[in-house]
Amino acid sequence: MLTQDTSARAGTITIALQRFIRSYGLILILAVITFSFTIIQPAFLSLDNIIGILYQVSLVGTMAVCSTFVIITGGIDLSVGPVLAMSGLYTVFTLTANGQLLIPALLIGLLTGVVCGLLNGLAVSILRLPPIIVTLATMSIFRGVALLTGGSTLHAVSGPDSFLFIGQGKIAGLPFPIFIFAIVALIMLFLQTRTRFGLNVFAVGENEEAARLCGLPVMQTRLLVYVISGIGAAIGGLMLTSQVNTAWSTYGSGVELDVIAAIVLGGTSLAGGSGSVHRTVIGALLIGEMNNGMSMLNVSVEQQLIAKGLIIILAIAFNNKLLTWAEK
Amino acid sequence: MTDNNILLKARGLSKQYGAVQALDNVDMDLRLGQVHALVGSNGAGKSTLVKILTGAVAPDSGKLLIEEHPISGNTRAMLDAGIACIYQDSQLVPALSVLDNIMLGRQPTRRFGFLDRKTQRDIVTALLAKHDLQLDLDSPVLALPPVQQKEVEIAKALSLNARIILMDEPTAALSHAEVEKLFRSIRRLREQGVAILYISHMLDEIFTIADQVTVIRDGKVRLSVPIAEISKKMLIETMLGQELSAEVRVTQKQSHASTEVALECRGLSKTGLFENINLQVHSGEIVCLTGLVGAKRSELVRAIFGVEPADRGEIFVYGEPVKIKHPLDAIRLGMGFVPEDRRRDGLFMSLSLGLNIIMAHLSSATRLGLLAQGTIRSVGNEQIADLGIVPARLDAVPRSLSGGNQQKVLLGRWLTGNTRIIILDEPTVGIDVGTKANIYALLRKLAAANKAVLIVSSDIEEVLTVADRVVVMAQGRVTGNFDQTQISQELILRAASGEVM
Repeated sequence: MLTQDTSARAGTITIALQRFIRSYGLILILAVITFSFTIIQPAFLSLDNIIGILYQVSLVGTMAVCSTFVIITGGIDLSVGPVLAMSGLYTVFTLTANGQLLIPALLIGLLTGVVCGLLNGLAVSILRLPPIIVTLATMSIFRGVALLTGGSTLHAVSGPDSFLFIGQGKIAGLPFPIFIFAIVALIMLFLQTRTRFGLNVFAVGENEEAARLCGLPVMQTRLLVYVISGIGAAIGGLMLTSQVNTAWSTYGSGVELDVIAAIVLGGTSLAGGSGSVHRTVIGALLIGEMNNGMSMLNVSVEQQLIAKGLIIILAIAFNNKLLTWAEK
Repeated sequence: MTDNNILLKARGLSKQYGAVQALDNVDMDLRLGQVHALVGSNGAGKSTLVKILTGAVAPDSGKLLIEEHPISGNTRAMLDAGIACIYQDSQLVPALSVLDNIMLGRQPTRRFGFLDRKTQRDIVTALLAKHDLQLDLDSPVLALPPVQQKEVEIAKALSLNARIILMDEPTAALSHAEVEKLFRSIRRLREQGVAILYISHMLDEIFTIADQVTVIRDGKVRLSVPIAEISKKMLIETMLGQELSAEVRVTQKQSHASTEVALECRGLSKTGLFENINLQVHSGEIVCLTGLVGAKRSELVRAIFGVEPADRGEIFVYGEPVKIKHPLDAIRLGMGFVPEDRRRDGLFMSLSLGLNIIMAHLSSATRLGLLAQGTIRSVGNEQIADLGIVPARLDAVPRSLSGGNQQKVLLGRWLTGNTRIIILDEPTVGIDVGTKANIYALLRKLAAANKAVLIVSSDIEEVLTVADRVVVMAQGRVTGNFDQTQISQELILRAASGEVM
């Protein structure tokens, strides 16, 4: 008993440092990248450019924070791309059919996300199929439905202004998508840290059997995380459609990779049980900074792709090393 | 004095972790053809010693000699020197065959790296014949009973020409009959001159199999004598030190059972598992459900708790007929369940102790779906203090706790809220003598507080220590039901082997 006490005291400093790294290791990496880009190109740290970065990451960031819970439960959602496309299409269809009424159109768009998420969630929780298989299949199915209902033509948005405000509006000089990203991230963070549901998500991801034995609603939790991920994709669809004035059945192809990259770069483990919404925000910012910084430095698109992949691997490897040390 | 039989000598081994002196000037001799038991409470330094012997950690000072030649180095060097270890958790690849597991990583090959199956089979067959082990070479390991899996690990060690085999809790997953079988294998190894270091919490086993026993406590060797020269009582006292052993003796048995039936099963059946189970647990009573492996005791209590509900039959809680289809139903009725494998089925390893404790009673710590952090903290702190969980920190994670403290966290989970009926499946597996006594005292306290306690236990000593009543199962049926005046080891064993009493 006595020896344990002394060791605890001796290790206090190490423990404090370990805790710091566990919580802020990522921010350190973010700071290093920011610093490096700024040295090479001082304009990187200008207010305009920072706003630009935030604007660029808001779409993927919003979708990623909404998918974070899926990953924490040990699942994955590959179907967000076509859900984004469908949500955009059906919103535009409703706008056209309903004489430009905003609210019903938004609701239809979001409902698309709910329904798709529900289908994913039911297959995962009730049929107990592996999430990667389910969402790989629904990625194909949903894309097929988008193409079937939306054809291969672009569908233009002719208004109303309130709808265009979602992707193009500004408040106090800040693009509105940044606010959407911020609000959605705050809601998700609130769900994660303050609610019983948020705790259930961690419990199911960490140890499903123990969660069941504690009487936790395992199936409902699994179902709900996919619904939230679907809603995130649907919001993404609204943002994109409003930004570019069009809806198209092939929008969002490959976006699932950016979404998962942001979550994983944030340090959320694909094995489930650990992770956090705020980490995903930082992960999305990291990706945004890299894209932006390399464009400013006139790195060609081809080289950017290669560099981005390498940085993701290096950053995660570095962060894992830090974390393994910090968790000793 | 020279002793030609000494195979391995450890001299003055010390190892410090931070401020903790894990090992302090430890001497030990392992002799040819001797089973040497190493005992001590959790944290006494046993695992550090094992790690030094396997080369996983280097000692700060001291040396190891095999036949007077100094050896040191990494795990590879120790294997080459003839020291192999059979860990508590299987190190085998379950899906591969016995043949492949024994030679894993060292399979003989032909040209271009193709496996030489025939040579491999010949080598292994010869090895098994030499050591009189009977194993089906082509069966995948996962299809073997636990005791044969241990034998595969022994064969693997022998195939490495090991002359010194360390066994860490080798019987943890074995039934009574299987332990006997393992002991026969160990005795054969002894006859062939292998030195065995046998680490176990099961003192009965040590008195059965060991020739020599070494006790360590707080990193020091307290005693090393031939087993014939020590009594069990003395062994326990040496392990625990003076004060603690007094505490153990106080686990007096005093029944608090009332006439109120808290939990009753009538004709509970689940096809292929158990049949027509009748069982009563009174308020304030500790009932032990015992039997051999395969008696389906775990399956029965899991059915009662609604994990995999029974097909037929009725359950009554305080006289009311109830339907339990899900653990949540059971929890709402005031039942709690501590599963057998606390790591796999019980704990959330990366969540804080506070959350682990509150997890089954979240509704009491939730207002309108929001978590009440204050309640979670106060409930957690109360349990940590009451149960004496170390470290006493709400934000610690179970991963860093000893087995005994992990078990206390799980107990704390059910002492929270209005649990009146608590079911524990093998509550003291892998827990040291001191903490065991602690947990028994706690269970007795629960009974004194008028709670009904149902324990699944294979440990006959445990059953005799804690039970007010013993229910014995064999092959899915109740074969014996003994109250305190009738409980005896002999009756229990006869019922467990299927004789209906």
